Amino acid sequence: MNQMNFIPQPPPPLPAVPVTFDGERGEFFRLIGRGALLELVTLGFYRFWLATDIRRHLWVNTAVDGDAAEYTGRGKELLIGFLFAMAILVPIYLAYFIVSVEAERFKGFASVPLVIGFYAFGQFAIYRARRYRLTRTVWRGVRFWMDGSGWAYAGRAMLWALLLVLTLGLAFPWREAALERYKMQHSHYGNLQGDFEASPWELFKQIWWLWLAIPVCLVLFPLLPFIYGYFKAVEWRWWLSGLRFGGVRLQSRLRPGALYGLYWKVIGWFVLLWAVTFAYFGGVVVVAAKFGGVSMAGPKAAQALANNIPLLIMLVLGYIAVILAINVVMRMYLLRDVWARVLASVELHGIEAVANISAKGDLASALGEGFADGLDVAGF
Amino acid sequence: MGDCDMDDTEQDQSPQATGGQAIYFDGLSNRRQTVTVVLSNQLVLRSADNFVSWPYPDIRRVDAPSGTLRVSCLSASPLARLEIRDSAFAAELVARCDRIDENRLTHGAVARIIGWSLAAAASIIVMVLFVVPFAADRLTPLVPPAMERHLGEAAVVQLQAVFGNKTCDGAGGQAAFAKLVEALRVPAGLDASVGAQVLDTPIPNAFALPGGRFFLLSGLLAKANDPDEIAGVLAHELGHLKHRDNLRQVIHNGGSSFLIGLLFGDITGAGAAIFASRTIVTASYSREAEHDADSFAIEVMHKLGRPTAPMGELMFRVTGKEGDKQLSILASHPLTEDRLERMRAEDQPPSGPPLLTAEEWRALKGICK
Repeated sequence: MNQMNFIPQPPPPLPAVPVTFDGERGEFFRLIGRGALLELVTLGFYRFWLATDIRRHLWVNTAVDGDAAEYTGRGKELLIGFLFAMAILVPIYLAYFIVSVEAERFKGFASVPLVIGFYAFGQFAIYRARRYRLTRTVWRGVRFWMDGSGWAYAGRAMLWALLLVLTLGLAFPWREAALERYKMQHSHYGNLQGDFEASPWELFKQIWWLWLAIPVCLVLFPLLPFIYGYFKAVEWRWWLSGLRFGGVRLQSRLRPGALYGLYWKVIGWFVLLWAVTFAYFGGVVVVAAKFGGVSMAGPKAAQALANNIPLLIMLVLGYIAVILAINVVMRMYLLRDVWARVLASVELHGIEAVANISAKGDLASALGEGFADGLDVAGF
Repeated sequence: MGDCDMDDTEQDQSPQATGGQAIYFDGLSNRRQTVTVVLSNQLVLRSADNFVSWPYPDIRRVDAPSGTLRVSCLSASPLARLEIRDSAFAAELVARCDRIDENRLTHGAVARIIGWSLAAAASIIVMVLFVVPFAADRLTPLVPPAMERHLGEAAVVQLQAVFGNKTCDGAGGQAAFAKLVEALRVPAGLDASVGAQVLDTPIPNAFALPGGRFFLLSGLLAKANDPDEIAGVLAHELGHLKHRDNLRQVIHNGGSSFLIGLLFGDITGAGAAIFASRTIVTASYSREAEHDADSFAIEVMHKLGRPTAPMGELMFRVTGKEGDKQLSILASHPLTEDRLERMRAEDQPPSGPPLLTAEEWRALKGICK
C-alpha cells in the first residue's frame, strides 16, 4: 500500500470530498443565549463551560466524508488550566511590577521593553491553546495531536514580529506562513503528519494594496468593514488551501466578498442595540423626572439624577441587557456564521490517504488556554 | 487494547435480543466498520473480522449530530465509537443503558457552577473590601524605605517628563519655604530626609510622592492669602508622608484592581463595570487616606498653636462647593465643604508665634519670579 505518497499536480483519483456543517441556527442561539445569561449570573466563570459547549456544537455538526467530528474537551479542564495559569501569572505580574519600578528609576518609561516579555507569553499561550483544542478533536475514533515546543514557537513569533515592524507590516504573509508551517508540521492526525504549503507570495499578491488602501479608508471609514471582510476572507482561503495532512489537501473556494454581509449585519445590530439602549436610557430619565420628583432644571439636575437609586438600577439593568445582546450577536455572526460560511467553501482532495490511520498521540493540558484567558490574547 | 472483546457465549437466542446495523470505529484506527449490533445481555458488535461486546452500564452517550446516537464504552478504548442512525433501534439501546447520560452537564451541575462562582465572587468582594485594605496597612511598614524611595524616584522622572523641570528657587523664597517646612517637620515627627520643592505651574495643588518628597505647585501659592493657609496644606502632605499613603495606595489599588479584573475579566463589554467598581473602590480608600491626612494636619497645627480654618478656606477658594458637581462616592477627596467645616470646628485662636514674617511670606509668594 503506497497510498500515502502525495503527488500534487495530477488530479486526485477520488473526487473531492466536501466538508459540511449542519448545525441549526436556532439550537446555537439557545445555547449562546443561555450561556450569556449564565455567564452574567456567574460573573464570567461560566465562560469555560460556554466555550466548551460552543466548540462541541461546532465540531459535532461538522462532517468530513459523511462522518461528524467530536470535541472531547470539558469546561472543568479549562477552569483548571486557568487556575494553573493564574498561579504562574500572578507572581510574574508582581515581579513585573517590582522590576518596572526599578527600571523607571534609571529612565522614565524604561520599563516599556518589559511588555515584550508578555508578548512572548502570549505567543506561547496561542501555541499551547491550539494544542489543547487539537488534542480534543476526534474524527472517526482517532484524535488529532500536536508536539513541538510552545517556547520555540514564541521565539520564532518574536523574531518575525521584529521583522514585521522593520518592514512596516509588509512581512506579514511571510510571518503567517512561517508560523503556520511550524504549527502544522507539529500537528498530526493519528500517524499522519500535517504540513502547511501555502505560498506567502500568493497572499501578498492579494493583499498588498491594503497597505495603500487603509489610510484612505481611515478617512472614508464606512469602507473599513469591506476592507476587513475582504482581508479575512482572503486570509481564510489562503490558510485553508495550504493545510495538508499526509496526502490530504484542503482547498477553499471562499469568495473575497463572502464575509461582507456578516460584518455589516454585526454593525447593523450594534447600531440598533445602542439606539434602543439610549432610547431606553432617555426614557428612564424622563420617567424619573416626571414621577420621581427629580427636577430637570438648573445646575443640580445631573447630581439629582445620579443620586436617584431606582433610576440607577434601571440604567444598570439596561447596560446588562445590552451586554448580553452584544455577546449573543458577536457569537452568532462572528463565530457560528463565519464557521459555517468558511466550511462550506472547503473541499478535501486525496481523502483515500486517510483510509486506515492508526491512533497515536496524547492529550495536552489546558494550561495554554488558561494563559490565553489570563493575558487576554486571541488567536489560534 | 479493546478490553471489551469477550468470548462468544452464544446468548443471541435469548427472547429479548434485538439487532440492527451500526457504524463502528474501534479507536485504534480510523477504519469505518459496518457492524451488526445485537442487544443481548451485553451489547454485541459483529463484523466480518471483529467481535466486541460492551456491558450496558459502561455505555455513555457522546456528542453526535442530530438523528444519530453515538456511544462510547468505559471499558473499551477511550475513543472507540458506535454510531446508530436508526432512531427506533437507538431508543431501544438507550432504554437498556441506565447510566448512559451520566457524563452530561445536568441542571444540578450547572447549579453547582453557579454556586461556586457566587462563592468565588463573594470571596473576591470580601478580599477587595476588607482583606486588601488590611494587607495594605500591614504590608506598608514592612516595605523598606529604600524601596519606597525607588518608587518615588521613578515618579519624579515621570513627573519631570510631564511638567518639565521647572523648580522654583528664588533665594529669599527658598529660605522662607525651607523655614516653613522645617517648622512643620519637627512637630510632625518626620526625619530630615523629607525633601520639598515648589514647581512652577498654574495648577493650584500640592502632592506628596513615595519616599519622602513633596511638591507645592505655584498655582496654589498664588491663591493663598497668608502663611497659615499654606502651612495647613503642607502639614496635610506631611501626613501623607508620615502614613506612607502612596505606598499603601499602590499596594491597595494594585491588589483591588487585579481582583476586580479577575471578577469581571472575560465578559465582552464589561469594561464599564470594571471601570466603575475600580473607581468606587479606589476613591473610597483615597477619601479615607485624605481624611486621616487632614486629621494629621489639624494635630500639627494645634501643636504649633496655629489656626486650622485657613487651610480649609484656601481649599474652598480653589474648588468651590463640590457637592453640586460630582457624585460623592466617586470623589477621591472628601467634599471640600465638609473639610472646611471640619477645619472650622477644630479651629483655635493662635497661641503660637506666626510661622513666617510678612517679609518672608512676600519672598515665598515670589519664589517663582
